[in-house]
Amino acid sequence: MHFDLDAEQHELVERAREFTREWISPNAAQYDRSGEFPLEICRQAFRQGFMNPHIPPAYGGAGHRVLDHCMVMEEFCTGCSGIATAIDGNGLSQYPVILAGTDDQKWRFLAPMTEQLMFSAYAVTEPEAGSDVARVKTAAAKIGNDYVLNGVKWWITNGSVASWYFVLARVEDRPTGFLVRADSPGIVRGPKEHNLGQHASNTVRVTFEDVKVPEANRLGGEGDGFHIAMKTFDHTRPGVAAGANGIAKAALNIALSYAKRRRTFDKKLISNQGISFKLAEMMTRLDAARFLTYKAAWLFDQGRDNTREAAEAKWFAADTAMQAALECAQVLGGYGYTNEMPAEKLIRDAKIYQIYEGASEIQKMIVVSKLMRFKEVH
Amino acid sequence: MAADPRALVGRITKRFKRRFWGRTFRCPVCHLELSLHDLDAHGLVVCPLCGVVLELDLPYGHAVPVVHDVEIFRPQPTLRLHPMATHIPIGLYPFALLGALLLAALSVAGALGLDLRPVVLGTTTLIEQAILIILVLSVAFSLVTAASGLWDWTFRYRRRRYAQINLKIVTGAAFLAVGAIAIALHVSGLVFSQVTGLMDLASPAGVLAGLLYLAAMAAGMVLLATLGHVGGNLVFGR
Repeated sequence: MHFDLDAEQHELVERAREFTREWISPNAAQYDRSGEFPLEICRQAFRQGFMNPHIPPAYGGAGHRVLDHCMVMEEFCTGCSGIATAIDGNGLSQYPVILAGTDDQKWRFLAPMTEQLMFSAYAVTEPEAGSDVARVKTAAAKIGNDYVLNGVKWWITNGSVASWYFVLARVEDRPTGFLVRADSPGIVRGPKEHNLGQHASNTVRVTFEDVKVPEANRLGGEGDGFHIAMKTFDHTRPGVAAGANGIAKAALNIALSYAKRRRTFDKKLISNQGISFKLAEMMTRLDAARFLTYKAAWLFDQGRDNTREAAEAKWFAADTAMQAALECAQVLGGYGYTNEMPAEKLIRDAKIYQIYEGASEIQKMIVVSKLMRFKEVH
Repeated sequence: MAADPRALVGRITKRFKRRFWGRTFRCPVCHLELSLHDLDAHGLVVCPLCGVVLELDLPYGHAVPVVHDVEIFRPQPTLRLHPMATHIPIGLYPFALLGALLLAALSVAGALGLDLRPVVLGTTTLIEQAILIILVLSVAFSLVTAASGLWDWTFRYRRRRYAQINLKIVTGAAFLAVGAIAIALHVSGLVFSQVTGLMDLASPAGVLAGLLYLAAMAAGMVLLATLGHVGGNLVFGR
């Protein structure tokens, strides 16, 4: 067992850190205030090869390992998790295609994304089906060689900029995955949602009204959709956990910088044990969250089952980020509560990690479901 | 959206700031936008609005200013000449520009065969003279404004180099220059006919002089608005 990064990973992390310092952090507050989609930053990320990292080299992509992606996401989210979500949002919809798509589907939907800046979206969540994905009501009726989709998807990341969607819909009673072009007649994209945090991320509703989808765009067989949607999370949850780690890292860096310079009672703030212990705890929790994240990613890269580890990493990293953001604001005192300092944004941004891609409670249910199979835990 | 003038101005301002100010951050107390160029060799800056002494660090590119002190004594001139004088050019100049635009519109109508002078009761020569008086008063008082502004910068702001004040100095000088050009064109008789008070659009020289005059007047308005906006920020904050 060793914990060193190889030279390639070192170089990748350095590049991601430089990109974060130059493009993401300096613009984070501005995009948070305006709610504008960070297209210019995405364009830069595309030019520098940071978008669509999972697409296999056979289709023009970089074919990054999940572990590499986690380290890049941690860096990006240290700058701004909203902008990072805009850059990385494609991954969630691409993975179902990587996992279950035919060669033809991969050429038609993945390969073009490596040639020009494009977005795609994972359209699964519905108003009555969030954590309980199996409840989706969007219907797909087979008519001739086409399916006709009707339903509404809500809180779809990159929904209004996507060129295509991965859509989970029911064929009779069987959840099935479809790849749907965004310019198909009958698709209506709603306005941007005003969320608590991650304002740079584009979250909208997408309505499907008699949208025709050719049979060639069905992903896997009829009824495979739920399995594909769930298997996708084994791949993406370590990345989400890494994003939460980025928030925790930003919180720690900001709190540390402030505590080392701010003076109170004639000494540096960090000289007070009540403050310094907070920093020590933040660092320790961040390390623990990172190790869980990296292990979940590494297991996936080895082709091994990582369902439990990905769930552990996701909930623990989310809680770590939330706690670190709150502690950062506490270290900054009154300044932590103003919107001119980054701490309050971190609190708003961190919350969603305890909710999306399976709430923390769902992650714990996954862990327990695995524990149920053990007689003893080693 | 290109049709939204506020968004357009916002985009232009953003590009301008990125080009000339570089990275900016806000004072955590009064919200005034400051530039990294405002920091001294020790990484410190005194906020020109609220007087706090800030030290800036950029962990992971995030601006984290720390307040170390506050400058309580800030000399304030008894006679607040700068804020008073600044109202005269800002108040008068838009009328000079509106008058020039009105005469330009009447001149274009006249060139197209439509004599609209009766709409202004035939007072075009009077309007032309009024424009000149207003223009001269605006530019003359902006000299007083500039001088009193430099006085304030020397004593109240202790000649510290702030991006906002640099911008005021540069735009103030530019306003004086374009104001002088507009006055020179106006009194030269190249722009307006002394008989009709309208622009001479029959000759290419007249058209060129008219366009130059309007461009100088419009540029003066943009510069004056920028001066007023930045000055307002420095006094009242965001």
